[in-house]
Amino acid sequence: MKWLRTTALTAALAFGSVTTAATADEIKIGLLQDFTAVYTFLTGEYNQGQQDYLTLINEEGGIDGNTFTAIVRDTGNQPQRGIEAYNRAKEEGAVLFDFLSTPVSAAILDQADADKRVVITPVHGRGDASDGTVFPYIFPMMATYWAQAANLIEFMKTNEGGLEGKKIAIVHIDSPFGKEPLPILDALAAQEKFEYKAFPYASPGNEQSAAWSEVRRYQPDFVMIWGAGGGQAVSVKTAIQNGIKPEQIHSVIWLAETDAANVGPMMKGVKRFEATASGLDHPIIQRIQEKVITPGKGAGDAKNVGTSYYNLGVATMAVSVEAARLGLEGGGPLDGDKLKAGFEKIAGYDAEGLMPAITITAEDHQGGGAGRVSEWDGEKWAPVSDWHAAYPELIRKTIEDSAAKYKEGH
Amino acid sequence: MAYFFELLINGALTGLMYALVALGFVLIYKSAGVPNLAQGAVVMTAGYAVWLFMSMGLPVWLAIPAAMVVMFLFGLVVERLLLRRMVGQPIIMVVMLTLGLDILLRGLVPGILGSAPKSIDLGINFAPVIIGDVFINRTSLIGGVIAILLVGASLLFFRTRLGTKLRAVSDDHISSWAVGISVERAIGISWGLAGIAAVVAGALWGSAQGVDWTLSTLLFPAIAVVILGGIDSIPGVLVGGLLVGILGSVVPGYLDSYVGGSTRDVVTSVIILLTIMVRPFGIFGREDIERI
Repeated sequence: MKWLRTTALTAALAFGSVTTAATADEIKIGLLQDFTAVYTFLTGEYNQGQQDYLTLINEEGGIDGNTFTAIVRDTGNQPQRGIEAYNRAKEEGAVLFDFLSTPVSAAILDQADADKRVVITPVHGRGDASDGTVFPYIFPMMATYWAQAANLIEFMKTNEGGLEGKKIAIVHIDSPFGKEPLPILDALAAQEKFEYKAFPYASPGNEQSAAWSEVRRYQPDFVMIWGAGGGQAVSVKTAIQNGIKPEQIHSVIWLAETDAANVGPMMKGVKRFEATASGLDHPIIQRIQEKVITPGKGAGDAKNVGTSYYNLGVATMAVSVEAARLGLEGGGPLDGDKLKAGFEKIAGYDAEGLMPAITITAEDHQGGGAGRVSEWDGEKWAPVSDWHAAYPELIRKTIEDSAAKYKEGH
Repeated sequence: MAYFFELLINGALTGLMYALVALGFVLIYKSAGVPNLAQGAVVMTAGYAVWLFMSMGLPVWLAIPAAMVVMFLFGLVVERLLLRRMVGQPIIMVVMLTLGLDILLRGLVPGILGSAPKSIDLGINFAPVIIGDVFINRTSLIGGVIAILLVGASLLFFRTRLGTKLRAVSDDHISSWAVGISVERAIGISWGLAGIAAVVAGALWGSAQGVDWTLSTLLFPAIAVVILGGIDSIPGVLVGGLLVGILGSVVPGYLDSYVGGSTRDVVTSVIILLTIMVRPFGIFGREDIERI
C-alpha cells in the first residue's frame, strides 16, 4: 500500500495542500518546499522528519494543550509559487515557515519582515540572515555555508597534519551556492598560509570529467566538494577515478546515505560536515519510532527514519517547537512576535543530543554555527570530531559585513 | 599534451553518451517528424524503470530488457493517447505537447518512485583505464562503445522493411496512407524504439550519476547534438555527439578555472546558435526545399 499512500500524497501536493486535522489550539507551520525540482534529493526525507516530529509532539500532548499542524505544499523551487503558497498559508494562520529553498526564502524575506512571520532557513539560504538586527524574523538557526566551510578547514588543520604550505582544491557547482565558501577560503588561506584553487562544473553536475582532470594535475593535499544531489556522487566517483583518495575528500553538508549507495564501497573514508547526528540511536528518534512509526502514523517510508536528511528535518522542528514553547511562556495565542522572542530565548538547546547545543540571541540567529565532521565508514556516517564552532570571529565578521551591505541596499 | 588528450578522449566518450540520448530524439523525428522535447524526461523515466526492476531483485541483465519492454509499451501508449489526437494540428502544438509531457514526467515519476537519487550498479569497474598519464573514464568508454553499436543497429534497422516504412511515413504521411502503410502504427513504433534507446541511456547515465530528475537535463546537450549532426540523421548523432562532447570538455578544461565559472553550457549554447545560423539542417541533415 506504500505506493498508494505515495500516490495520494503526490496528488494532494499537486492540488495544493495536505493538512492534518485541525484542533482548537493549533499552531500552524508552513512547510512550503520544493518537492518536484532542484531540492528533491533531500526534501522527501527532510519533510518526513519534520512532520513525524510534529506528530510526536502532538501524540505527547503538545505544548500546554497547543498542538501543531503542518501545512505542506510544493513550490517547485519557484519564487512566484513560493510567494503564492506563503500568502495562502499566512491567511490560514501559519506563524512559521520553512521553504527549504534559497531562491524562495530570498523572495519572501522582506514580506515576512513586514508580516512579522518567522522564516527558518536551516543550512540553506543567505548566510548574512544570521544577523538578527538586520533580518529580525529570519532564523538560519544552524551552521551557515560559511560556518560549514570554516569547520571543514579547521578539521584539516587540527586532524590531518596542518594547513601551512598545503594545497586545497574546491570543486563546486557553478552557482551562487557553489561559490558561497570562497570568501571564507580567501580569508583562511591568508590566515593559515595555505593555497587553494576553485574548479567549477556546470549544473547539475552529471558530467565533471574536465574539472577533475585539472584537479589531478593540481595535486591537492585536500579536496572540498560543494554541490548537491546526484552531482555529489559524480564528484566523489570522478575524484576517485582521478586518483584522489576518499580520505582527501571533504564535503558540504549535502552528502548522505543515498550518495554513499550510489558511489558504493569506494565511498569509505569520505568526510562531510554535519549539523545533526544521523542514525536511530537518539532519544527523540527512538520516541518517534515508538509513538509515530510503529503505530503507523508516520508521514512516509519507515526506512527513511534515521537518515541524515530525516534527522535534519526532525532537528529543525525540535528547535522550532522549543521556540514555540518559550514563546508561549507569557501566554498564548502564539503569533510571529512571540515566536521570534521564543527563538531568541533558546539557550544551550541540543534536541536531546541530536545536534550541537545552540544559543540564539537577538543578534545571532545562527545559534553559534556549530557542527562537526563525520566520515563514511562503509555503513554509516561516523563522527570524527566534536560539536564546535570553527573560526567564530571570522564567521561573525563575514555575516555582519554582508548584512551591512544588504542593509545599505535597502 | 597528456592533459589535452585526456580532455579530448573523455570529451569524445561523454559526447557518445550524449548521443545515446540524442538517438531517441532522432528516431522519433526521422519517423514521425516530431521534435520530442520530452526525450530527456523519457530517459529519466527509463532510468527509474531499470532501478525499479533491479530493486525488485532482478539481475541487471534481466532488468534492462524488462525496462525496454516497459518503455517500448510506454512509447506506444504515448502515441495512442496523445499524439494520435494531434494529427492535422500545427507542429508547434505537437512540440508544446511534448513539452507538457516532459513537465508531467519530471514531476510524476520522482513523485511516485521517490525523488532521492537511486543507484544502478551495472558492475562496471570503478578504476579508470590508464594510458601513460591519460586517465579514461571506464563507464564512458563502455557507454561510447554501446552508443556506436546502437547507432549501427539503428542504421541497419532503417534498411529493413519496417524501417523503410518508417522513413516513408516521415517523408509524407498522406502518401504513406495512400500506399497502405499504417502511419499511426509506424509513429507508435518509433516512439517505442526511442523508449528502448532511452533505457540504454538511462541505465548508463544512471550508473554514472544515480537516477533522479537531473537525468532529464541531458536533453540540453542532446539537442545540441541533433542540431549539429542533423535532426534526421542517425550518423549525425555520432558526429554531433563527438563534437559537442569534445568542445564541451576541452574548452572548459582550459578556461574554467581562469574565468571562475563553468563554460560548458556556454559552449553548448554557442554550438546550437552557430549551427542554426550557418547550417540550419546540421552537418548530415536533409535540406528540404519547399515551394513558397
